[in-house]
Amino acid sequence: MIKNYINIAWRNLLKNKLSGIITIGGLAIGLTACTLILFYVAHERSYDSFHADSDRMYTVEAQVNMGGDTIYMNAMNATVGALTENASPAVASSLRLKDEYKPVILTNTQQPGTRFSEKNFSYADANFFDFFSFKLLKDSKTEALARPYSLVLSQDMAKKYFGNQNPIGESISVRKDSTYLFTVTGVMENTPSNSSIHPDFVASLSSMLTMNEYKRDFDSEAFRLGAFPTYLKLNNASDVKTVQKTMQELSTQGNADATDVYSLSLLTDKHLNGRDASNTRYISIFPLIAVLILILALVNYLSLSTARASLRSKEIGVRKVNGASRKSVAFQFYIESTLYVLLAFVVSVALSVILKPWFFGILGIEIDAVFFLNSTFLGILAGLLVFTILATGFYPALVMSAFNPVENLRSSRASKTGGVRLRKVCTTVQFVIAIALLVSGIIIHQQLDFVRGVDTGLNRSDVVMLPLQKTMGTNSTPFRNEIEKLSQVTNTAVTQYPIYKGYNMFFVSSEQMPDAIGLPIFAVDDDFFQTLDVNWELKPEDEHYYSKSEHVVINEAAISKFKLGSNPIGESLLFGNSKREIIGVVKDFHFENLDAPINALALFVNSKTQATTNILGKSGGCLFVRFQPDSDVSQLLSQMEAIYTQYDSATPFEYQFLDDAFDAMFRSEERLSQVFNLFIILAMLIAGLGLFALATFSAQQRVKELGVRKVLGASVIQLTTLLSFDFLKLILLAILIASPLAWYFMHLWLQDFNYKTTIHWWVFLGAGTGAMALAILTVSFQAIKAALANPVKSLRTE
Amino acid sequence: MLLQLNHIYKWVKQGGKRVFLLNDISLDVEEGEFISIMGPSGSGKSTLLNVIGMLDEFQEGEYMFLDESVHTLKEKHRSKLYKEYIGFVFQAYHLIDELTVYENIETPLLYKNIKSSERKALVADMLDRFNIVGKKDLFPAQLSGGQQQLVGIARALIAKPKLILADEPTGNLNSKQGEEIMELFKELNQEGVTIIQATHSESNAAYGNRIIHLLDGSKQHQASN
Repeated sequence: MIKNYINIAWRNLLKNKLSGIITIGGLAIGLTACTLILFYVAHERSYDSFHADSDRMYTVEAQVNMGGDTIYMNAMNATVGALTENASPAVASSLRLKDEYKPVILTNTQQPGTRFSEKNFSYADANFFDFFSFKLLKDSKTEALARPYSLVLSQDMAKKYFGNQNPIGESISVRKDSTYLFTVTGVMENTPSNSSIHPDFVASLSSMLTMNEYKRDFDSEAFRLGAFPTYLKLNNASDVKTVQKTMQELSTQGNADATDVYSLSLLTDKHLNGRDASNTRYISIFPLIAVLILILALVNYLSLSTARASLRSKEIGVRKVNGASRKSVAFQFYIESTLYVLLAFVVSVALSVILKPWFFGILGIEIDAVFFLNSTFLGILAGLLVFTILATGFYPALVMSAFNPVENLRSSRASKTGGVRLRKVCTTVQFVIAIALLVSGIIIHQQLDFVRGVDTGLNRSDVVMLPLQKTMGTNSTPFRNEIEKLSQVTNTAVTQYPIYKGYNMFFVSSEQMPDAIGLPIFAVDDDFFQTLDVNWELKPEDEHYYSKSEHVVINEAAISKFKLGSNPIGESLLFGNSKREIIGVVKDFHFENLDAPINALALFVNSKTQATTNILGKSGGCLFVRFQPDSDVSQLLSQMEAIYTQYDSATPFEYQFLDDAFDAMFRSEERLSQVFNLFIILAMLIAGLGLFALATFSAQQRVKELGVRKVLGASVIQLTTLLSFDFLKLILLAILIASPLAWYFMHLWLQDFNYKTTIHWWVFLGAGTGAMALAILTVSFQAIKAALANPVKSLRTE
Repeated sequence: MLLQLNHIYKWVKQGGKRVFLLNDISLDVEEGEFISIMGPSGSGKSTLLNVIGMLDEFQEGEYMFLDESVHTLKEKHRSKLYKEYIGFVFQAYHLIDELTVYENIETPLLYKNIKSSERKALVADMLDRFNIVGKKDLFPAQLSGGQQQLVGIARALIAKPKLILADEPTGNLNSKQGEEIMELFKELNQEGVTIIQATHSESNAAYGNRIIHLLDGSKQHQASN
């Protein structure tokens, strides 16, 4: 029986190749989009859950109140983990894991040529491999990080530094301010892509006790904030409250005035609900888009299969006369849907595999290929398959099984009206989704353009930032001189950090505001203002204002924040114990994310020579280079690289354009926009395909009507209009429904932005026209074909 | 008695008026009969066959089939009844285009849940009997009209029905093919199958042992030969 059904489904598919391909293709496209998004979302949601005890692993967090601002810190004093573990029986184990903040330079001592700057270098307690489920491939579990100056490499890094040679027992030198020699004691598996902890190198934390840079971090025994991110594993997840209470007690034991609030947060929540949500900001929108695309594909399937149903009515009649019950007809169509869905599914899996690198390239994320075999993901996929089969089979089975055999067999009257209204609804729904996506995509794009074009108070174009490391040292002065001598370079400036990437904070008070407030500080040289076109509100009168000691330049926002007078020159701010006189005010410029209004800012301005030696050279600052707008950028970069390597051969040359750094802050919006672009194309494709197939059916069904009209004297144009108009009415309706919907959701979305574009009426007009053009194109092709047909022929077929 | 119709009325409403498709039809059919229903287009021949075949409802009257009162049966029970006892043959053959000759003949057996091996044997017998073994893997479109109707009859017979309802079985065939089909019906009738056919043609009607004339849904007179 089933064989018979599969047979007939297959033969029907072969007979109506075009509609079959469109049906399966549409479904496959929808399923592919769904699969990729599910893959992405499942991966994002699976972060850190691969650890054996992930349900009871926590990071220690402290909520600190500073000058009215609440700040969250996750770096604890070295003793916090051990103290908590001793005080609370609920804690199974604790671990300190400290990342290098800046890249370090690593060398295989046997081959001085293998020298690289490495970003993912961490120090961990000896129980690292017990605590987490990262696998050690070589060497025994407990030994690896037990001794000071032990180092475990990831597989990739072992290959990078040692090739195929066994790295165990070899030495790697690590260059910071001083150079340290580490012995390789293990190789671990590369960390999976869904790990929020992803060191390439894990060194024993005990090494830090004797490292000049870190020695002091161990001075205090107190339970307080410090330098070490700390992880706890509890015996039981329900003990969180108890442990938090213990930690609170520990913190007040030594210092009764301590106000910091300690808490535990699940490691698995870190990625999605962490403080920095830029990666995952739109994680909830993606599934929504996936569902929309799936609905689109299902609706497409539904409308095509009901259209096909009218062609199948005779068969169903015959089957019923031959004894088929309603149930068995319904079953037959379920089998048929299953076959179609399975085919579409196979195609979509193949498409997903092919498109995966490209899709995730757009999203800018890497996901391990093995995650495709992740059981949760496979489970979701299976669920999707079953759901799709049930959903696609439901309506055809229901409708076709209800066909009355007598009516269907009365040869001249195939049930022509069957499902027409439903198909109209389907087409409208499809275009509502497609148009709403299109409108949203355009608005997202406009918003991105808009924020990029916002005047942020400094000129970002034609500036490249060169972050230097301490390895530049005293060479910073000749380096800067030579850069300035390049013919395309117009200006340079020095800051402590690349802009948009961070800043130092001081706790500052004023006479009017005695409570200290966290205030961002930029240490710059006096060329900063000219190089970045930062304008003065109140310019210091003295040209050499920066040589004056204990001064500060503030921005306009700082005036109100510290409740200073309208002309604050001469007033002073208190930085801890040192008092600084305000000597100038600059106009506000954005130095961080545009989401928030411009924060108060203080600038410590140094003379050029001083800044070059101290900020740029000794502590590894950042050189801003402004070049002429029409410069040959690649040539300029290679010139700069040549100069750079001449003065610092230890650290690789790095650069970033200022406007790229700015744009990088909109990465999640950028991703959203790109995903929208992709899905707009898919939605339009599916909707267009569906419409095309429907137009084909409609033309087939109206062959006789068209023949009669033609005999009666209708022109080709009149017939084409007649056929097309039915569909265009639906598109018009779809535009009317989609526009307010899209407006509403985009309006909501824009509320999150400090700077927002206005939604223009012509966006809707444009999207509507686009959809209409697509519809006319698809429909008129069939309509013209039908209208051109010889009426004698078409009338005879009846 | 195979079946009995008592005062059957069937009508449709058109502009508020009843238009009678069947008007007070009473009919007794014994097993082994060969009945021809004659009448012009629209006289109700097909409707009467559909009612007898339980494919169509009627508004008034009684219908007894093998002592079961069809008019009171539930849909499910009724379909079981006709699945068991009735085979249909159509003017337009109504084969399923996507199925081969073999599969078309097999279809009724599928719905009777007959085992695969038994199905094979039954279909093979039928193919043999109708001399179409060589055509079993062809699709209907590859056959002539007469051959298609042979397949249609083979399909109607495969479930071993007591009654065959044939709605203008030769209407789409040329006279030679038509004659062959009618000879086949005669043979079947002699083997004990009851046959009711609707036809336009006097000569085909003459194959039956009883002729019923219909006009506008009413029986005109009854003749027997």
